[in-house]
Amino acid sequence: MLNLIYWELFKTYSKWRTYIGFIAVAVLIPIIMWIMWIEGGKFISYQLKTLQSEFLITGNLFNGWVVAQVIMNGLWVHVPTLIALVAGDQLAGEATSGTFRLTLIRPVSRTRILNAKYIATLIYTASLVIVIALLSLGLGRWIFGTGDLIAFDKDGITILPESDLLIRFMFAYALAVWSMFVVASLALFISSFVENAIGPIITTMTVIVIFLIISNLPVESVESIKPWLFTTHMNVWQQAFRDPYDWDKIWNSAAALGINSFIFWGATLWIFKRKDILT
Amino acid sequence: MSDIILRTTDLGKQYKNRWAAQAIDLEVHRGDVFGFLGPNGAGKSTSIRMILSLITPTTGRVELFGYDLFNRREQALQNVAGIVEKPDFYLYLSAYRNMQIAGSLTLGKTPAEKKIMETLEIVGLAGRARDKVKTFSHGMKQRLGIAQALLCDPQLIMLDEPTNGLDPQGMKEVRELIQRLTTEKGITVFLSSHLLNEVEQVATRMAIINKGKMIVQGSVEELLKANANKVFFKLLPLKRAALILDSLKTVSAIEMTDDGIMAKIDPKYVPSVINKLVNAKCKIFSVEPKHSLEDYFLEKTTES
Ligand SMILES: Nc1ncnc2c1ncn2[C@@H]1O[C@H](COP(=O)(O)OP(=O)(O)O)[C@@H](O)[C@H]1O
Ligand SMILES: [Mg+2]
Repeated sequence: MLNLIYWELFKTYSKWRTYIGFIAVAVLIPIIMWIMWIEGGKFISYQLKTLQSEFLITGNLFNGWVVAQVIMNGLWVHVPTLIALVAGDQLAGEATSGTFRLTLIRPVSRTRILNAKYIATLIYTASLVIVIALLSLGLGRWIFGTGDLIAFDKDGITILPESDLLIRFMFAYALAVWSMFVVASLALFISSFVENAIGPIITTMTVIVIFLIISNLPVESVESIKPWLFTTHMNVWQQAFRDPYDWDKIWNSAAALGINSFIFWGATLWIFKRKDILT
Repeated sequence: MSDIILRTTDLGKQYKNRWAAQAIDLEVHRGDVFGFLGPNGAGKSTSIRMILSLITPTTGRVELFGYDLFNRREQALQNVAGIVEKPDFYLYLSAYRNMQIAGSLTLGKTPAEKKIMETLEIVGLAGRARDKVKTFSHGMKQRLGIAQALLCDPQLIMLDEPTNGLDPQGMKEVRELIQRLTTEKGITVFLSSHLLNEVEQVATRMAIINKGKMIVQGSVEELLKANANKVFFKLLPLKRAALILDSLKTVSAIEMTDDGIMAKIDPKYVPSVINKLVNAKCKIFSVEPKHSLEDYFLEKTTES
């Protein structure tokens, strides 16, 4: 199995499209920071000036942590596209290029091949989030310095002391990886019955957008399905910046996301095992 | 112990409401070069896809080395390799990497460099091992496909129209390679083709398939014998000769061609038939017995 995973990773990281995601975040994050450097400083300072006189806040208010959080807020709807780009190609790409005729005639079960692809895709997903984390925290702290984090939410404002922040950010990125696994699973699922490379990306994004709309619809009739939609829980990472942690909410969302991933994996396996390789 | 290493029984595949292949009963013995012959669209690739577990049959079973393909897939496919339709690869990877990937799927571990290079050597691609497959010609891909099939020392190789799209030189090379595989390595080769003369040259046994149905199966020798007794007369004038032959009870299946007449005659009657033609003042330039399966194949694949 390790050998299978190794070669799936090898294939994934030998493809040009895999690096589009890394290049995109490596370009976007510095640009966002540059804009914030020019604009954001003024904007946030005004808001926070008043706070500074009322609370005891140490360090620079407009710091690298704040910037990293702003970036996370901005990117978590776009990263799914970058994940779908790679995950959606895992099965559809091999169908299109005809390489299934090469791999699926070998004495390895389709279940194992699919699982190896799954794990490789999850590793890619995690690696993309890790690169985002390193870039936004590293560059952010280098450019904007450090300090406490002011977290805004529905209930008001929380000031998170700097000593907690590394742990909180790591927790937030871990939760983000967990929710992006659902996106990867969904893209793989669509990839299992579509035979071109673009279809899975577009379909995955369409599903996410539609689900997001439903998740945010203030309508009675959809209330009951909301808890089941993964899009309702995709922003669970924001819980890492609540004080104290709302563990009920976190577990609930993490479980919902896990169940969604598992269902997509199961459905993919069911289809893939029965798929006629006609390309 | 029976030495049938591939057996299909009532194998069939239905797409929508038409059968791409139906009631395919194949028996391939160890050591055979088995020719699977049929015109384009006959159902050759469909049958091979079923045998190699790429598609699920609508009916029937496949047994490889005594293992049922559906219940014991891993054991059944352990000693099998092949190319289905055209050889496709990870174009963005080198020939060497493609070999590693294919080999590891059969071995469960990455094959040794020495083994890969030796195998690439056999097909004359060792010098291009590190080049991306993207840069390969069709003929090179075909040879890489064969190398990949050979890599894990299979006992049975399934090749689907391996000379398709190759130039005459390439075709000759592939034919020679196939012959070497059987004589030097003792590998059983299952070879599909729409070209009879290609199969005839290398095969020991063959099956003919047309419109999804199997027409005949047997040793090439037997089939040749069954199709013997064809005689080609190169003579003039054609019309008069045809009339005479037509009047003889010992002659059948008369066909006129541009410069002569083909007919089916038991060899023992050939002298008397020649006599009759000479008496009728026909000028006979040559009389040749025809053993080729060509006519048989054409006959079988056009009549149904
Ligand atoms: N996916 C498919 N859907 C419908 N018909 C198909 C499909 N694949 C093959 N066929 C039909 O099945 C028949 C056999 O095809 P194939 O096995 O590829 O023939 P061959 O390899 O002998 O040229 C053809 O008539 C072809 O059109
Ligand atoms: Mg074919």
